[in-house]
Amino acid sequence: MPERKKSGTNLLYSMMAEAASYDDAVIMGRGDPDFDTPEHIIAAAKEAMVQNHSDSSPPEGLPELREAIAARVERVNGVAYDPASEIVVTNGGQEALFLMVLTLIGPGDEMIVPEPNYNTYLDSTRFAGGRQIEVDTFPQQNFRADPADVRRNVNERTKALLLVSPNNPAASVISPQDMRDLVQIACDHDLFIISDEIYDLFVYDDVVHTSAAAMPGARERTLTLNALSKAYSMTGWRVGWVTGPAPLMERLRELKAAITGATSIISQYAGIAALTGPQEPVQMMADTYVRRRRAVLQALDEMGIEYGVPEGGQFIFADIGFTGMDSMQFAQRVLTEQHVLVYPGSAFSEARKQYIRMTFLQPEDKLREGLERMKIAMEGIRAELGNGSAS
Amino acid sequence: MPSDSVAALLQRHRANEDLNAAVISAAARNALDLAADAVVGPLDERIIEATGAALDAGHTHYEPVPGIDELRAALAQHLSEATGAGWDAANLLVTAGMQESRFLTLQLIDAGDGATALPQVLHPGVRKALGTRPRETVSLAVDAERRLPRLQAIRAALEGGSRLLYMESPSRLTGATLDADEMAAIATLLADHDASAIIDRGLAPWVAGAVAAPTERVALIGEAFPGAGIASWLAGYIAVPEDWLPPIQSQKQIMAICTATPAQFGALEAGNLYTEEQPPRLEHMQALRSSLQDRARAAGLDALAGGAASVLALRLSASQKAQGLTRLAEASYQVADGSDFGAPDLLRLTVCDAAQAALDLLADA
Ligand SMILES: Cc1ncc(COP(=O)(O)O)c(C=O)c1O
Repeated sequence: MPERKKSGTNLLYSMMAEAASYDDAVIMGRGDPDFDTPEHIIAAAKEAMVQNHSDSSPPEGLPELREAIAARVERVNGVAYDPASEIVVTNGGQEALFLMVLTLIGPGDEMIVPEPNYNTYLDSTRFAGGRQIEVDTFPQQNFRADPADVRRNVNERTKALLLVSPNNPAASVISPQDMRDLVQIACDHDLFIISDEIYDLFVYDDVVHTSAAAMPGARERTLTLNALSKAYSMTGWRVGWVTGPAPLMERLRELKAAITGATSIISQYAGIAALTGPQEPVQMMADTYVRRRRAVLQALDEMGIEYGVPEGGQFIFADIGFTGMDSMQFAQRVLTEQHVLVYPGSAFSEARKQYIRMTFLQPEDKLREGLERMKIAMEGIRAELGNGSAS
Repeated sequence: MPSDSVAALLQRHRANEDLNAAVISAAARNALDLAADAVVGPLDERIIEATGAALDAGHTHYEPVPGIDELRAALAQHLSEATGAGWDAANLLVTAGMQESRFLTLQLIDAGDGATALPQVLHPGVRKALGTRPRETVSLAVDAERRLPRLQAIRAALEGGSRLLYMESPSRLTGATLDADEMAAIATLLADHDASAIIDRGLAPWVAGAVAAPTERVALIGEAFPGAGIASWLAGYIAVPEDWLPPIQSQKQIMAICTATPAQFGALEAGNLYTEEQPPRLEHMQALRSSLQDRARAAGLDALAGGAASVLALRLSASQKAQGLTRLAEASYQVADGSDFGAPDLLRLTVCDAAQAALDLLADA
């Protein structure tokens, strides 16, 4: 039997199941936007059911969708890719991630990963027989991945560098200068770069998103992931993609064919509509997240909970260390007592036991309700702390 | 997968560029596709309505990793009726189609310390799925007519230490099935050797009458309610004993999170319509296949008896096959080449009206 242990991911699924059993639950855990998919995209899917239900797709995806992706990536990320040989459509960002890791990482290879990070990278790297080398990041620096720390961790087994920006769960965004420096490290040591840009449309305040592949020297060594899931509220449709240089994409395409074959035709047509249709719904959702993020940060300030300022993405990674509780205990208590689901940092890594991850993917009134209930839980915890009995 | 440096990879790619150019230009031709193992028929409006209604109702979000409950239950019920075993929703996982079913079962089901036993003749996707993270394999000899594994080959493999067996019944190439006695013998062998089997029964809906399968120690895989015109929506299934499911489900989460909602709701409605719609569909296909088989035989072609109504396999001499493939390609037909399955003397056509003209071209070759 291949290696298996109770992963952080499994832990989260059991908490989600508990939350689902409460009628009044406020879900601030899962990265699933509360908005339904915009109507014009659903309409396009229905149209495809009538017109294109039996079309067949090659494993790399419909040419029309790959062209729409190429246009999007050039417009938003500033990198040009050939739709015929440099883009593969996937079953969501998740399959894109798995394929990127399998394309680049083999048994014994190491990948440098700023920590904390999206935990599926660890699962995928294990599947490939590789190892993650974690580089710590800290809330005082908004979880910045320091290029100097990354460079110190390169050795002869290092194969790739993982950059998730905006990050899940830390919500950090790699600055243009840091990105340049990180890419330079990859160039100096002939490393590949895995760049996960699934939250690229969500950056806050004056922060800008920088695509790794757009940096000098990066294109030939970078695989980039994106997906429609978060930006278009299309998590259920499973449409994502990988862009990269043809030699790498050739291998990735072979893996896609071997692992799942083509991507569902109806989802692909919906994807074409998403990328080529009106973009106002995306802007509307992004604007809403700005307001909600502000509301959550304000409530956390009121509760005296510290966090790295979320520069991008859809998460807040907050420090509950002062409670003396382990994040699992804390999250479980808030869930059972107050029916509010937040994710324990320990699900992301052992080293993050004092953190919780919160999302703002709920309507604002519901968010406020959840935060109020969290406040009640916090007051209880503080009172117990006062008399020395918090657990 | 070997692990190249950037430079080595670039070099390898350049060597492949010519090859790629050839493949792309072949794909660009508007070929008449007779390469699939079942024709994609018209889509029932009720499937469009039900899927559209699910999307309108907000089923556009992540669904549970193993699939929506109703579809798991419908598949379990269908498999229980078809095989006589007691499958339950908790045994089922919905996949993004047949290839994901192959990958997840071949990679995640315990093969113990032994090799995975594979019949010599198999859908090429099986070896591809195994190749992503290679496991040791042993080859099982097949019989000449059905191209299904011989019992004594299975016995020898199990005695030699194999603990996991992969089989197709019906065969993806010939459509032939293992009968109830053979399956019973295989079930006994599995029990005697504490071994397991993965059985692809994706073409079983195209066989009149029951297609036998062991009731224990077995993973069943296939397309979810095929025949309803939703083949390229891609919904498949894996049915396994409950204690086999956790590692498979965990890997499905890692590589997919869940299966696309339109595909799942489409398959669910196809399942609702299945008992009403599949019998006439099957009858039509059987009649078509039998007329194609008669036509082939009348033209002196060696059409295999097969079993599943959706495919027709022909046995050809090397020169006959080479000429036939050339003629088909000239006329923009695509067929499945047995070489890709491990049977170089066979060609397979999709059973459909267009297959008649392809047969005539082959007969003239
Ligand atoms: C950083 C990151 N990458 C990839 C994914 C996968 O997203 P999906 O498969 O839903 O497109 C997620 C989902 O939460 C994520 O946070």
